[in-house]
Amino acid sequence: MLYTVVPLEDVLDGIEEDPPQLVDVVLGGVLLQVEPLSNFSYRVERVISSDPQAYLNLQYQPGSIIRWT
Amino acid sequence: MDPFKPTLTSEAQPEAPNEAQAQQAALQSIKQLGQTGTADDGASPYHCLTIIGQIEGHMVLPPRNKTTKYEHVIPQLVAIEQNPKIKGLLIVLNTVGGDIEAGLAIAEMIKSMKTPTVSLVLGGGHSIGAPIAVAADYSLIAETATMTIHPIRLTGLVIGVPQTYEYLDKMQERVIQFIVQNSRIKLEVLREMMFRTGELVRDVGTVLVGEEAVRVGLIDGVGGVAEAIERLHQLCGAAQGEGGPH
Repeated sequence: MLYTVVPLEDVLDGIEEDPPQLVDVVLGGVLLQVEPLSNFSYRVERVISSDPQAYLNLQYQPGSIIRWT
Repeated sequence: MDPFKPTLTSEAQPEAPNEAQAQQAALQSIKQLGQTGTADDGASPYHCLTIIGQIEGHMVLPPRNKTTKYEHVIPQLVAIEQNPKIKGLLIVLNTVGGDIEAGLAIAEMIKSMKTPTVSLVLGGGHSIGAPIAVAADYSLIAETATMTIHPIRLTGLVIGVPQTYEYLDKMQERVIQFIVQNSRIKLEVLREMMFRTGELVRDVGTVLVGEEAVRVGLIDGVGGVAEAIERLHQLCGAAQGEGGPH
């Protein structure tokens, strides 16, 4: 249930578009759900970890790009 | 003397050689490890959590929304609470609201933290942003920032059955109770503001700008980042006086 000043139709604009395909990768012992981009890079979608410190790691913040080398 | 006041220039002078030493150490670090420094170098004792855009809850919002993801914020709060190096938390809000449950979850986490917390509403702290703002030990609002207090509703749906109405009422009560318990605002005042007519176009509710939010008792003070950091210094000083926040 949303409690917001933004009209619902604006919030939900684009909800019918296909969501990006996510893959799970383990990086530095932390499981990440990432969206594969072109040329061996990934965009972090979310962290799945029971270690709270993993969520403070700047590299793992949602939206950050990880380059596979 | 206030230990957090900036020291006078005469006392600052001996710091010059320290700076040179620090630079030397940084150079050493680059040579040996190929990195500019360790995590401890000049690390702030405070963490800053930004609550921006829509607060995303049980439903993944379309990518055009800027969102604050609660499943990410909650473990961050756990990490901040249990990390002895982090002495305080500054919560900066510029949010248009969002999921009730996610917003209340973040607010409850902040409320229950022993680590000193200060919130600062910049731009906007609307709807479910209000409980998050008041959850901190001390809340601040920028002079031009606004907070919209309005009822919870289901846009585009006509409430036809009493059960729906009661459910909405119950959800709303959770928000109202949280705000009342964590700020100086009176229940009747908050409720009156929520259902006030004539202030919002096409809607009922109240828009509070800066000082007004303080006057009604929702927010503790008007200020910016300097006041927020100063308040964190004070809260941390008080916490350390009684054996530290941890």
